[in-house]
Amino acid sequence: MPATPRKHIISAYLLAGLILIVASYSLPLWLPGDFVTAAYSGSEITLTAAQAQKVRAFYAHDQSLGSYMADMFTLKWGYSYIFQVPISELILEALPWTLVLMGSAHVLATVIGFIAGVEMAWRRGSLVEKFGVGGATVMAGIPELGVGVILLLVFSLHLGWFPAAGGKTVYADYAGCAQLLDLGRHLALPLTTLFLAYLPANFFLTRGSMVLILGQQFLETARVKGLPPVRIRYAHAARNALLPLATHFGMRFAFMVTGAVVVETIFAYPGLGALLFNAITLRDLPLIQAIVLFSSLAVLAVNLCLEFVYAFLDPRVRYVS
Amino acid sequence: MRVSIFLLISTAINISTPVAAQEVEIRIADSKGDWGAPNPFHHYPRGPGYVRMSWVFDTLIWKDQSGYIPALATKWLYDSERMVFCFHLNPKAKWHDNTPLTAADVVFTLAYFKKHPYHWISTAPIKTAKVLNPYSVEIHLSTPYASFLSDIGGSMPILPRHIWEKVKEPHSFSAPEAFIGSGPYRFVDFNKAQGSYLFKAFADYYQGRPKADRLIYFRSGRPLVSLSTRQADLCSIDADMAQSLKDKGFVVIQNERGVNRKLMINHRKAPFNQKNFRHALALAIDRQEIIAKSQRGFGTPASYGLLSIDHPMYNPDTPVYHFNLSEARRLLETLGYQRGADGFYHREGQPLEVQLLSSGFSATGQGAPDRDAQVIKKQLENLGIRIELVALEQTTADSKIQNWAFDLAVSGHGGLCGDAKILNEMIASSYGAGSVNSARYDENPELNQLLEMQMREMDKNARTKIVYRIQELYAKELPAISLYYPLSLSAYNPHKGIDWFYTKGGIGKGIPIAQNKMSLIRP
Repeated sequence: MPATPRKHIISAYLLAGLILIVASYSLPLWLPGDFVTAAYSGSEITLTAAQAQKVRAFYAHDQSLGSYMADMFTLKWGYSYIFQVPISELILEALPWTLVLMGSAHVLATVIGFIAGVEMAWRRGSLVEKFGVGGATVMAGIPELGVGVILLLVFSLHLGWFPAAGGKTVYADYAGCAQLLDLGRHLALPLTTLFLAYLPANFFLTRGSMVLILGQQFLETARVKGLPPVRIRYAHAARNALLPLATHFGMRFAFMVTGAVVVETIFAYPGLGALLFNAITLRDLPLIQAIVLFSSLAVLAVNLCLEFVYAFLDPRVRYVS
Repeated sequence: MRVSIFLLISTAINISTPVAAQEVEIRIADSKGDWGAPNPFHHYPRGPGYVRMSWVFDTLIWKDQSGYIPALATKWLYDSERMVFCFHLNPKAKWHDNTPLTAADVVFTLAYFKKHPYHWISTAPIKTAKVLNPYSVEIHLSTPYASFLSDIGGSMPILPRHIWEKVKEPHSFSAPEAFIGSGPYRFVDFNKAQGSYLFKAFADYYQGRPKADRLIYFRSGRPLVSLSTRQADLCSIDADMAQSLKDKGFVVIQNERGVNRKLMINHRKAPFNQKNFRHALALAIDRQEIIAKSQRGFGTPASYGLLSIDHPMYNPDTPVYHFNLSEARRLLETLGYQRGADGFYHREGQPLEVQLLSSGFSATGQGAPDRDAQVIKKQLENLGIRIELVALEQTTADSKIQNWAFDLAVSGHGGLCGDAKILNEMIASSYGAGSVNSARYDENPELNQLLEMQMREMDKNARTKIVYRIQELYAKELPAISLYYPLSLSAYNPHKGIDWFYTKGGIGKGIPIAQNKMSLIRP
C-alpha cells in the first residue's frame, strides 16, 4: 500500500533529523585547534610538553558517534569544557534571552513590514511609496554590525539613554515595574538593530506579492461590491501575500541562533548566539556540538510547523495535499 | 497629557545604575565576561580568571606598585644553606567560614597541588613542607628555585584544609564551600549567561574591611562605552581614548611595558634556520613604522632580548637591529639569493616566497585585531621577499604555530615584567613546548645552559648577570623577533574613592591587569 503524503513528510523529517545529528557531531570536529590551544594561547601559564599532554588527556573528546547519538536521545548533553557544568543548563539559561530578543524582533519586523508593504503597494507610484522604497533600500544595504555600532554610539555613548551592554543591570535590586523597565532598556538597542535589519526584507516581500495580487480580477469584484478599501487590502489582497511572508518568518526564526551572533556580541546580550561565539572561540567542543544540534533541530521543527501553517493560510495547499 | 508621557519616558530612560542604600559598589566591565568560577580548579587559565579568583583566595605574599608585600605571611626568610623558605603567618587571618587559617593549611595546599596540579604554580622544586607552629611554616626545596616568590609565594592560593581534604575530584567540586577562601571578598554569584560576578566584602578580613561592599564584574561588548556612561567604574582602554576620558574626569593609568608583539619564525625549516636570514628579516622591519601605522604611535619598539626597559633585569646593551634595507639585502645575497628585475629575490630558479600568518591578538583578556601583518608584508616585499598574507582566526593560527605549520606569524604575549623565568618559557622548548608564543629554540647550548642556571641562582645580582647574557644571546640568535610593546592603559572613575593601580611585575605571575585587591584594602 503506498504511503500517504503525511507519512512521506514525517519520514523525510526523521531522515533529515538523523543527518543533522550526524552533522552536529562531525562538523565541529573539523575545527582546527583544540580547547587546550585556545585556552592557554593567551595565558600567563606556559605549559611544558608533559603538562600539555596531561591537560589534553583530561579534555580528550573521544566520544564515538554511536554513544553521542545515544546521549542525544537520552538528553545527556554532556559537560562544557569551559564552565564544567551540564550543557543543558547553559542552553536553558541562554535560550530565553535569545527567544525574547529574536522573537520580538521578528514579530515586530514582520507585522510592521507587512503593513508597510501592503500600504506602499496600495499607493504604488505615489511620492510616499517612492520614499518608502528608497528608505527600505538604504536600510537593507546597511549591515547589522553597522546599525548596531551607530545605535550604540548615538544612544548609549553620546545621549546616554540606553545601557551599552547586557540583558539587565546585573545584581541590581529591582523588582516589578522597575525590573521590567530595566529589561526593556537593555533590550531596546539590540532589538532596534535587528528590527531595522529584518524590516526591509519583510517590506519588499509583501509589497512585491501585493503588487502582483492587486492586478487580479477578484479584487475588481470586491471593489464593485462596494467593500471598504481597508477590507479589500487586508481581507482579500493581503491574505494572499501571507504565504511567502510566513515562509520568510519561519526561516528567519529557525536561524535565530546564528542570526543573533552579531548583535548579541556587539551588545553583550546573554543569548545563545553569544554562547556559541564563545564556544567556537574556545573550541568548547561539547558545547558547540550541542548548540549546533539544537539550532539545526530548530530549523527542522520550524519547517515542519510551516507545513501545517501553509495549509491553514492557503486552502489550495490543503487541497493539493 | 503629552508632557506627562514625555516625563514618564524621560524618567524611564534615565534610570541610573542602582546602588543599594549606603553600600559602596564597584563595577568592572570587560568584553568577554565569563572567566570561570573563582576557585583554583574552575577559573579559566588566563589573567582575568586568576584575578577574579584572587579576590576570594589569598596567597602568602602579594605585590603592589613597588613590589612584594606581606599577605597571609607577615614575614618570610630564605635560608640558602638549608634551601628553606620560612613564612610567618598573620594570626588574624581566617577563612570566610570564620575558621582560623594556620600553617597546616599551607602545608596541605602544597601537598594538594602536588597531587592535583594547578598550572599557575610549579611545585616541582618543593621537597617538603613542615608546620613549625600554628603560624609558622617551612618549605624545603629540593633544588634552589629563583622564581619561588613569584611562582609560589606570590601566586599560590592557599586552600582551607578542613574543606578540601575531603575532596577527591577538585574539578567537579563546585559546592558553595569550594569558594571559601581567606581573601578580602566572599564569592556570591557567577552568572554564566550574563558573564557577571558578584563578590561581597569580607568584614573580618585580616587586613581590614574592604572599601567597597560589593564588587561586580559584568560583560560589555564595548567596555569603554560602559565606562563613559558611568555604568562601569574601571576598564582597560585603547590608548587613543585616553585624552577624551581624562577630559571627562576619569583617571587614566599606564602599565609597565610587559606585553609584546612579536614575529614568530619557523626556525626549524629553511631558510629560517639560518641566523643570517633571520637577521635580514629584523633589519628589514621598520618597527617605528609599524607602531605609527598599526598603533597610531602608541607603543615602544621592543628589546630584541624580550625584557623591556621597565624590567629590573633588562640589559641595556642587548644587540639592536636598526632598520637597514641595504644591509638586509647584503645578508640575503651572502646566502645565495639574487634579486631579479621584478625586485624579488630567488635562488636556483626558485622565488623567495614566504607565508605570513596573521590573527587577532589577546592579552589582558581583551582581544585586538592584528594590523601589524599588513605593514610587515609591505616592508618584507620592499626587501624583496614575496609574502603571502594569510589571515586566520586566532585559535586556528595558534594551532598552526604550535604544530610548526607556518613560516612567519605575528603573535604576542604578556608577562614580560614578571619574574625572569618568562625568558625560559619564551625561549627553551623544555619550558615552553606547550606554548604557542614560545620560540622553542634549543640550538645554542650556552643559551640553554644559562636559562637553567638563572633558575637556580638565588643571589639577585648574580642572577641579573646571567639574565643579561641570556638577553644578549637571544637577541643574537633571533629565533623570534620582538616588535614592540603596545601601550597598556586603564581608566577609572575617581568619584568612587578607589585608586586603582598597575602592579609592579604584574599580579601573581605577571598579569598586566589593573585590578589589584590592595586598591580596595588600603586607605
